[in-house]
Amino acid sequence: MDMPFYLENVSHRYSDGTLALEDVTMSMKRGERIALLGPNGSGKTTLLLHLNGILKPTSGKVHFDGKPVEYSSKALLELRRRVGFVFQDPNDQLFAPTVRQDVAFGPLNLGQSAQEVRRVVEEALDTVGMAEYAEKPPHFLSFGQKKRVALAGVLAMQPEVIIMDEPTSNLDPRGTSEILHLLLRLSRERRISLILATHDVDMVPLFADRLYILNKGRVVSEGTPRELFSDTQLIRSVNLRSPRITHLFEVLRKEDGVPVDERLPLTIGEARREVLRLLGILQDDLTGGSEVVSPWRHHPPIKNKRG
Amino acid sequence: MTEGHLHEEIDRHAHTNPLSKSSPFTKLFFVLSALVICVSLPSPIVPLAVLSVSAVLILFMARIPISFFVKMLSYPTAMLGLSCIIIALFFGDGEALAEVPLPWFTWTIFKNGVTTGIATFIRVEGALSCLFFLVLTTPMTNIFVALRRIRIPAVLVEVSLLIYRYIFVFIEITEKMTTAQELRFGNSSWLTKIRSIGLISGNLFIRTMEQGERTLTAMNARGYDGTIRMLEDLPKPSKAALVATVLFDSILLLVSIYSKDLLVV
Repeated sequence: MDMPFYLENVSHRYSDGTLALEDVTMSMKRGERIALLGPNGSGKTTLLLHLNGILKPTSGKVHFDGKPVEYSSKALLELRRRVGFVFQDPNDQLFAPTVRQDVAFGPLNLGQSAQEVRRVVEEALDTVGMAEYAEKPPHFLSFGQKKRVALAGVLAMQPEVIIMDEPTSNLDPRGTSEILHLLLRLSRERRISLILATHDVDMVPLFADRLYILNKGRVVSEGTPRELFSDTQLIRSVNLRSPRITHLFEVLRKEDGVPVDERLPLTIGEARREVLRLLGILQDDLTGGSEVVSPWRHHPPIKNKRG
Repeated sequence: MTEGHLHEEIDRHAHTNPLSKSSPFTKLFFVLSALVICVSLPSPIVPLAVLSVSAVLILFMARIPISFFVKMLSYPTAMLGLSCIIIALFFGDGEALAEVPLPWFTWTIFKNGVTTGIATFIRVEGALSCLFFLVLTTPMTNIFVALRRIRIPAVLVEVSLLIYRYIFVFIEITEKMTTAQELRFGNSSWLTKIRSIGLISGNLFIRTMEQGERTLTAMNARGYDGTIRMLEDLPKPSKAALVATVLFDSILLLVSIYSKDLLVV
């Protein structure tokens, strides 16, 4: 069955009585990139913690790879190998005295041989571009570097699914773009499924195939970024906003009567295409794949990244 | 070099000095044997010898700047000095060195009190200097792996490992809280200062508990089962260094036999 995760009417009530998740049903296909979008306190983190068995639903069921998740310690070890979790604050995750020791922690817990562990650690650090920091203690690293090491710690277990809680929070623009590209690369080259929780709406269309909008512990809506972000009413009702660029085109369309396509652009790339179309330089609409011949400049043809 | 915080400087030296890649076993063997000899034998020459050898190793082999070594030694020395002065002036019995008549009693300074004060001072300095050698030249991770390898109970090593890592996190948090308090005049008078320190301490205590839980959750997510396993990539102990240490220890023992009565008056 090609569906790593299937959550069936999952609810979670914390011991203090707070109902953090209510009747959540969601599914994920293999290799898919999913974003959970929701304001603070909407239950995103609680939902994520169910996916690798750290939290157990109070009612409902979590299925992984076609089977209901078991909570015996042996089954959990296997689940946690296959489903890696990168926490929001890397200081929570990096506990070891050096980067290398920290990345080795997971694989060593899986009982792999020292030689094998060395190999996967090296490879994981290489992938995230932190190989030269292997012997450094975590407190010598910047926040973005710590975040990448935390990701390496998960990658070293060679997971099929990676869960990241707020991967871009507290990162500077460069750190954000580095993490984003890294995740896209992992998704494309290794077919790792990804689930991110975020409220970074500008990042979502660049990243996600599909998104779930959470509010007050419930799934409010589900769909592609294009479907959900065109519903401005919905987006605003849960204290979120559209991507900045989408908002601009919405204003141009509504306030200034510019003949912008109904499907508002969500990313810079789509906006560029739409502007060129409006200027009469590009014949196709933004989903087309024609070449651009700009009268001002010769540049390589725009490839449509999102089909 | 930029002046940083002491804890960061120590860590940086430990990771960058010429000896950081040498075997932690050799260093541990030298330090532990010297430490035991230093504190258990009566001779005052032995700690002085340990102090000088450690200083030479720190300054010339590890190339730690002398100013930094002196600075590091100055903090414990100040506390130690105070304690030893108190030992020298107020402890002891038997033969008096001086008697100070005070209106309500006579204050006697004893000969063996002064001896004990001086001997304690020298011994602790010797012990400190060889511990500093270990701390300044060896990355903590190597010390932890080596300690575990020589069968120090796992729980002790694991607790120290977590303490080491999170000390840096909490120093940072403390600094931020202190700055935030200062910006709102939390240190304007002695009383508010005391109150501010109290608030920080209480807050830190709660923060450590929360951090502990979050760290444990994150460790569980990577398959933690109660044991922290580590990669044991350690450099091989150098035979020459081990032999040199044995020789040095033997000389210390010999010296101590011949000089054990030196300070006893």
